[in-house]
Amino acid sequence: MIRLEGVSKVFKGDVTALREVSVEIQRGEFVFLVGPSGSGKSTFLRLLNREEVPDSGRLMVAGKDIGEMRSWKVPYLRREIGYVFQDYKLLSKKTVYENVAFGLEVIGRPRSVIRKQVPAILDLVGLGTKAERFPDELSGGEQQRVSIARAFVNRPLILMADEPTGNLDPSTSVGIMRLLDRINRTGTTVIMATHDRGIVDTMRRRVIELDRGVVVRDESRGVYE
Amino acid sequence: MYRLWYYLRETVLSIWRNLSLTLAAILTVAVSLALVGSSMMIREGAERATAQFQQGVEFVVFMNPDADTDQDAAIRHVLDSSPAIEGYTYIDKAAAYDEFETLFADKPELIESVTPDVMPPSYRIVPVDRSAGNVNELANQFAAQPGVREVATATEAIRQIDDFSTLVSQALLVAAVVLVAVSALLILNTVFTAIGARRQEIEVMKLVGASNWFIRIPFMLEGTIHGLIGAAMAIPVLFVVDNEVMAFFQESDAVPLFRGFAVPEGFVWDTSIWLLILGGAVGMIGSAVAVTRYLDV
Ligand SMILES: Nc1ncnc2c1ncn2[C@@H]1O[C@H](COP(=O)(O)OP(=O)(O)O)[C@@H](O)[C@H]1O
Ligand SMILES: [Mg+2]
Repeated sequence: MIRLEGVSKVFKGDVTALREVSVEIQRGEFVFLVGPSGSGKSTFLRLLNREEVPDSGRLMVAGKDIGEMRSWKVPYLRREIGYVFQDYKLLSKKTVYENVAFGLEVIGRPRSVIRKQVPAILDLVGLGTKAERFPDELSGGEQQRVSIARAFVNRPLILMADEPTGNLDPSTSVGIMRLLDRINRTGTTVIMATHDRGIVDTMRRRVIELDRGVVVRDESRGVYE
Repeated sequence: MYRLWYYLRETVLSIWRNLSLTLAAILTVAVSLALVGSSMMIREGAERATAQFQQGVEFVVFMNPDADTDQDAAIRHVLDSSPAIEGYTYIDKAAAYDEFETLFADKPELIESVTPDVMPPSYRIVPVDRSAGNVNELANQFAAQPGVREVATATEAIRQIDDFSTLVSQALLVAAVVLVAVSALLILNTVFTAIGARRQEIEVMKLVGASNWFIRIPFMLEGTIHGLIGAAMAIPVLFVVDNEVMAFFQESDAVPLFRGFAVPEGFVWDTSIWLLILGGAVGMIGSAVAVTRYLDV
């Protein structure tokens, strides 16, 4: 599903965000990306999404070489990758329903599909009754559920989450992790960058640890360390 | 269909949010295109008024419509052999009729009253020495030839019309070019502001995989619509120029030649279409630059 072969990324000012990273992730896996702040976790995810281009090495996602990909094809790659952030990135002037529907509207899905899929996904994330609320009327955990709903409504192959529980208290985080786990069980590959020790240790999933851009550990049922 | 509705909704919303800048952009387009159009019309009017005296032609020898071939050959012989003549063009009856038809295209009753038969054939003559004295002397020589009906010279007045209209239309054009550039910049700025106002939406659109054109089109549409509205506002100005300014010249007795200072209605409409194309293009280019520079898709 995802393969990095000796991928490096160097930013201006000679910051090496990733150095010679080689990792393979199978379809349906759940992977934690851990490491201290600045170790290159976000850069790893941004490379998969083609928000950044690798400086060297080869990067394959869903059978396609991302480094070589023409820019007009990038949107179609992104339709296969749901992306969730610490700060949710919801549109404050749109309701919960509209926020999720927006994700389908702008990729040209017909209205009939939107009317069917949005309520279904809102039920899945447990927000069926809050469809008409606005983001600032929701708790942080609920907002994160909306953002997960938006990322997953198009049934992507991969769901990436960059510190999705970073702004949430532990009990709310558990709920979010249950949701991600449930999504993973539908066959979706989930990659989550985090430095939440508790979560990693309870889930016991594959852990890839980065330190200053280098993979220092890759365990299949790992802990945070 | 749904997509079209989406684009229109986004465009209208964006224009509304951004009203003052939008108005400035549209008005600048309108003013600059009004100048472009006026310049085109003045040039066309002057060309029509002095059509016979282009490219160095200083006088025109009109033959009698019933002049015989010997008379014609005699004139031609003089023209071909005289060292004082640099060149000439012969306008036969049919060509003269064609010109007449074009010039008075919007006055069909006038066209119906003549036939190619009665049109005088003419020689448009470029002399080597173009000073007024020499031209007059040559004109008098030709006027005395058998078969010649009359000789019309490019007097000082014509030259003045020509110079004057060239000056005016070029000055207008220079001002117009500057203003067109300003309007393209203003449109660029409006679209830039519109992009800024929708930063978050754009970020999410990229995130979920909206295609590049899906993101670009509403902004390009917005700029193009500014250009088109501006052009539409400039078009009435052309008709005012046609009906008031040019009519003023036509009715003035001061310079008889100004009477021919007219453009047919069709030309005003053609110019209008050009303005719409130009306005749309300016808007599209301005917004395309904004989109490629600031949208990063
Ligand atoms: N756009 C960028 N320009 C320059 N340096 C960057 C950029 N993005 C990330 N970096 C640098 O790359 C390194 C890794 O950053 P990041 O991937 O965000 O780490 P993490 O997500 O693990 O905190 C850091 O040193 C960061 O400062
Ligand atoms: Mg990060």
